[in-house]
Amino acid sequence: MSAIVNETPARLRCGDRVIQEILPVLPGSIRRLVSALPPFVQEKVEEFRIRQERPLILGLSSGDHFLSVKGQLTGLRQEAYQVTQNDMEQLIQLISGSSLYALEEELRNGFITLPGGHRAGITGKAVLDNGRVRTLKYLSGCNIRVSREIKGAAAPILPYLLDGRRGIYHTILISPPRCGKTTMLRDLIRQISNGIEELGFPGVNVGLVDERSEIAGCYKGIPQRDVGIRTDVLDGCPKAQGMMMLVRSMGPGVVSADEIGRREDVEAIEEMLNAGVKVLVTAHGSSLAELACRPALGQLIRSKWIERIVILGRSRGVGTVEEIIDGRSMRSLGVK
Amino acid sequence: MLKLIGAAMVVAASGLGGLAVAGNYSRRPRELRTLRSALQMLETEVVYSATHLPEALARVAGNCDRLVEPLFSRAAAEFAASTGITAANAWENALIHYYPGTALKPQDLSILRSLGSSLGRSDREDQVKHLHLAMEQIKSAMAGAEEEAARNVKLWSYLGFLGGLITVLVIY
Repeated sequence: MSAIVNETPARLRCGDRVIQEILPVLPGSIRRLVSALPPFVQEKVEEFRIRQERPLILGLSSGDHFLSVKGQLTGLRQEAYQVTQNDMEQLIQLISGSSLYALEEELRNGFITLPGGHRAGITGKAVLDNGRVRTLKYLSGCNIRVSREIKGAAAPILPYLLDGRRGIYHTILISPPRCGKTTMLRDLIRQISNGIEELGFPGVNVGLVDERSEIAGCYKGIPQRDVGIRTDVLDGCPKAQGMMMLVRSMGPGVVSADEIGRREDVEAIEEMLNAGVKVLVTAHGSSLAELACRPALGQLIRSKWIERIVILGRSRGVGTVEEIIDGRSMRSLGVK
Repeated sequence: MLKLIGAAMVVAASGLGGLAVAGNYSRRPRELRTLRSALQMLETEVVYSATHLPEALARVAGNCDRLVEPLFSRAAAEFAASTGITAANAWENALIHYYPGTALKPQDLSILRSLGSSLGRSDREDQVKHLHLAMEQIKSAMAGAEEEAARNVKLWSYLGFLGGLITVLVIY
């Protein structure tokens, strides 16, 4: 199976809009520099790393680059634009919609979801209350992760995940960070939820627990990303609790969640497996062997309940499908 | 006859001028009072409902006295009109439009300005402190304004007409 092609016209059109969504939350001086970048560079920006009194760094698919005071990408640190305290203050106001007081829960979690489903991670000084983080202050670092919707990203793997007209196999997507795991999951959910005419798949109700608001990118409860017509989103809810809530309340055919790993997540998934609901989840990891070493996830894999294990990587670009494994027989389905 | 009409006009003009000055003195305490209660509404929105600031400003505009409504509705509109605007900018722009049409003094404006620079920038506790500080400052400005009004409203109401009469007498 080939790498997911990045440079499709659809992607370029999508990217255009994406950068326009990010620009309003950048402080004036940085906004001007980013606007000055050629469109084909803007398309490739995956991350903005903005740290007070330090150089501004853009994360591109080809690697990290400094942004110079002239608005060009550079490898030289001394040419890089230095982020000022004023920039940082403006940035925090803009990403919080001047409502920092209303985002205490988000600050506790260390990120704010922006309109358009992009995510701004924040660091600063933690204020503790009985040993737990109450909030953050002196906010001094921010990482804006650009969320890109690539419709059709999941098309190459879908035939392997569908169990005839009945539904999908219990599936887990595995990949290291920044390999397109969330993008792939989002498109899978969208297609499964809408139905896939060419494969004769009618579409099922999907319950999505979007703990970190990354998949549906909900802004004030409304999904900003296309997650399909039959998808119910439980936004910002802890995964284990959310999965149980969805099964009880919404009667989904498929329950989905991103980045599972804690023991309670795996316990909740085991409940799902026994409740006649299909499971579609993702986890951090670069190989099956690595996953098997993790206490909770390893047990889930060994139980052989999971029917399809999809391994993603970057060997031929972001979102490369490295391998699809039959979870029962542990044999590769010959995808690599 | 013509002289009589002229004299009446001088008295009327001067009298109305005096009444306008008196009106300003009596308007300022009213404006300060309504501002204070509007800020109280904003505090409720911010602290108890944790409403996002643009929405909170719009709600206050919908419920407050019409004397201060333009300030809050303008600030909310500034947010709605342009993306990438901070609360401080939106509030400042609203103040620029609101202030000239009011009886407020420069010291009242500076209270509102310094409140604007801290709006939405910190956690709830801190926002409460800033809002309370502004309300306290407005309260003390209100006491001064009421005292001034009591002194000056009557004075200017009479002074206008009397000034007009004196002018007429001098001309004759």
